[in-house]
Amino acid sequence: MAQEPENGKKIPLFISRSHILTDVNKTGSWRFVRPIYREKTAPCSTACPAGQDIPRIEMFFNQNQFEDALNTILFENPFPSVCGRVCFHPCERVCNRAGLDEPVAVHDLERFIGDAAARGELKPGLKKLPAKGKTVCIIGAGPAGMAAGYFLSRMGYSCDIYEARSEPGGILRWGIPRYRLPETVLTFEIDRIKQYGLKISCNTPVTHDFVEDAKNRYQAVFIACGHGRSLKMNIPGEHMADDGLDYLNRLRKGDTAPSTTTAAVIGGGNTAIDVARSLVRQGTKTTLIYRRQKQDMPAFKEEVEMAVEEGVTIMELFSPVKIEKHDEEFVISLQKMKTAGMETDRGRSRVIPDGGPGHQFRTLKIFTAIGAEPADPWLSPLQKTDATLDLSHCTLADSDPPLLYGGDLTNAIQSVPDAVASGKQAAMAIDIFFKQGRHAITDRLNSCRVGNGPALSMARYMGEKQRNRHEDVVSFEHINLDYFPRESRAETKTLSLDDRVRSFDEIKTTLTIDRALKESRRCFNCGICNACDNCRIFCPEIAVTLHAGERQIDLDYCKGCGICVVECPRSAMELQEEG
Amino acid sequence: MKEVLEGSHAVSQAVRLAKVQVMSAYPITPQTHIVEALSEYCADGTMDARFICVESEHSAMAAVIGASSAGIRTFTATSSQGLALMHELLHWASAGRLPIVMAEVNRALAPGWNIWMDQTDSLAQRDTGWIQLYCEDGQEVLDTVLQAYRLAETVNLPVMVVLDAFFLSHTFEPVDIPGQDLVDRFLPPFSPKIALDTSDPFAIGQMAPPNVYMEMRRDVQKAMEQVLDIFSGVEQEFLNIFGRTYGPVERFYCDDARIIMVVTGTAAGTCRQVISDLRSKGEKVGMLKLKMFRPFPVNLIREDLGRVQKIAVVDRNFSFGASGIFAQEIRAALCNHPGHPPVFGYIAGLGGRDVTVDTLSEIYWKTKESDAPEDESVWVGLVNC
Repeated sequence: MAQEPENGKKIPLFISRSHILTDVNKTGSWRFVRPIYREKTAPCSTACPAGQDIPRIEMFFNQNQFEDALNTILFENPFPSVCGRVCFHPCERVCNRAGLDEPVAVHDLERFIGDAAARGELKPGLKKLPAKGKTVCIIGAGPAGMAAGYFLSRMGYSCDIYEARSEPGGILRWGIPRYRLPETVLTFEIDRIKQYGLKISCNTPVTHDFVEDAKNRYQAVFIACGHGRSLKMNIPGEHMADDGLDYLNRLRKGDTAPSTTTAAVIGGGNTAIDVARSLVRQGTKTTLIYRRQKQDMPAFKEEVEMAVEEGVTIMELFSPVKIEKHDEEFVISLQKMKTAGMETDRGRSRVIPDGGPGHQFRTLKIFTAIGAEPADPWLSPLQKTDATLDLSHCTLADSDPPLLYGGDLTNAIQSVPDAVASGKQAAMAIDIFFKQGRHAITDRLNSCRVGNGPALSMARYMGEKQRNRHEDVVSFEHINLDYFPRESRAETKTLSLDDRVRSFDEIKTTLTIDRALKESRRCFNCGICNACDNCRIFCPEIAVTLHAGERQIDLDYCKGCGICVVECPRSAMELQEEG
Repeated sequence: MKEVLEGSHAVSQAVRLAKVQVMSAYPITPQTHIVEALSEYCADGTMDARFICVESEHSAMAAVIGASSAGIRTFTATSSQGLALMHELLHWASAGRLPIVMAEVNRALAPGWNIWMDQTDSLAQRDTGWIQLYCEDGQEVLDTVLQAYRLAETVNLPVMVVLDAFFLSHTFEPVDIPGQDLVDRFLPPFSPKIALDTSDPFAIGQMAPPNVYMEMRRDVQKAMEQVLDIFSGVEQEFLNIFGRTYGPVERFYCDDARIIMVVTGTAAGTCRQVISDLRSKGEKVGMLKLKMFRPFPVNLIREDLGRVQKIAVVDRNFSFGASGIFAQEIRAALCNHPGHPPVFGYIAGLGGRDVTVDTLSEIYWKTKESDAPEDESVWVGLVNC
């Protein structure tokens, strides 16, 4: 070769070179701490009442595995399209990404997946366990009852659901206006639940006698029929006011009764806001009267803000004391309130009359929406005993066969995801009752908690691999920000204000696929391994091995330097002191 | 085919023609254009090579050391502070006997920040075991890079091809870019004598205790001692294929010269003009252009300078507390040569200051008119004394 020295002399080339392989040097003996793969729980998952495995959903999403993302949602919640729209997304309030820029738009991504399934682009692949030969009676086809039926059916139970109204859906169908939840979205997700074989009998109101009889005919009964009776203000002239929920029901049925030019809505919850915003859409100048401060309204903040944008006037700290009719007009006498310290248990200001003169408010129509309660006393355990189990989202009465109460009847927060949580908890409790007995329920449920929160993981209950959700919750400090440049959060398109107040069209659109993918990549995937391979790439001893997709640490050579743990962007590893 | 190219791109073209497989560099003015073009060649597929982006020159040298150890043809380029940062690894490359080729654009060291021509950066690395070749123009730099691979891969030592900041790196000149077929004839694929191999694993660079270290260092020197001969062979082959040759030193009007001026780099071009002008006035003056600085061609220096009356060395560099570095080396080469002439050391053109026809004429006349050097170093062209 030309590389041979031209002068024919040999070039001396004595260098340090060794054929003794470095593997004789078992650097593992230097180690006093060892890295381990230990998945942890993301804060969003613990905040989700339905206990969804959000970091894993977003991981599948950003790896283009949309069907896996769908199934991961459906494992815990049968309503992605519904919840993507109406859930108040507590997940986003605790999102670690907020420490860097803004929370991940989890609800928009959930909605994207749910809608793709609704278009037939994704097929759910969750199996049904073999039939167990037991039938459960479920009263109420609202979100809690439907969720219970969904989870029980997947576990192999037969379910008979009794619904008083003409169609299933409960508050989702009759209480939430179309501009927040189009009917087609709801119908698709209810139909998907029906495919698991549960039987729904509509137009079948249920009595106490029916329940007593059901205890003989069924192996378990779950009552989740919601609050049937509106709360009363107990003031003179109250009978002249319309019921807000009734008004929403009528709208849903297509009754667009001639509206009035002015109206007052009394209340501060989500129903009150829905009523006020629906009235605005019918061309009514609407005033909302609330006895506490605006900031203490139980309604979702975002909904309150949109109501104000759409022209709803909010009168805060006014308490109605009397309603009178003068000719065509109603006159509401109002007591001005003032704050007086804090309520100890609810984190809101206590209010008392301010002692000043009364006010009067004139309007052509009045709607009340101050809350509701169970329609009958038998909708909670008539007798509480030591055997009565008060769980976070349902109550198990002292009876055999098991009789459970759930949904709004028992939930502290009356929201759609809490209703799903109730149905899930009831389904698990019934299954445990059959398999291990009443005494085992509490411990078994505790073992399925997501992180340190009350939400329950069905995946963990059903023993899914790799879904062992750890009680340690990943905090912002555990994220390696070197791997995450700042990126702005996806903004969904919304109808213009002009269009919003003229129609009941849905306000927000679903993200486009490009934007949704970009948004999914913003997720830190807190606490879970997404196979980024940093641990293997960075290991100076090449002690991280990969066999059939599984990463393992070769302890003969791992010297415990901890680089893999530091370079794990998402806290799926940790160092453990050698025992 | 001749193209009008800046010196930097003459380097890039040579690296492309040499079919380098791995490059790593960190940008620094005035080296940037070299690696900019190379990264484009990698990106657009002109070269089938990997460009490793790094966060420092230290890592750039580490990366090419790694690639070269695996038996791959490698290239890097730097300048000034970047070269200083590489210092530790320059030893690893040479004592590791890795045939890495580096383009080093002579630039002044800070502080005060100065991006212009100055030789102190490369000369400060004279003891690292690298071969150093200084170039005068764009054609020479292209040709020298190609020769450098032949040389490096033959003696298993790294080569630094040195070019002046801006005067060469950023100056456009017509440059003949040889065809790939000719280059392939001159420079066959790299056939490494050391190459890590995962199928026959071994380790290099580990502990060398007192009973072996000295021998390793002696071998580096033994290889260095053969460079001059081997370079002549490489140049002969280059001449046969491309019709051009430069030599480790170039003699210009030296045969009957009484005074010989020793210059390097682009100043040699200016000096040719000065010599011609002086010759036309009857002055017996010649120029020795020093291309090879490491290994230092001691015998050639003795041969060419040992019998003249006076030697004037132009140093665009300085070793503080001593003198200009080329002058030092020439004095050292001559000191055991009986009856050698006096060496007049001149410091000129530091930090990018022009070395003009007038500067070099002044140096000639000062030398001619003095019987002996007035000082070890005479600083020429100072503005504020």
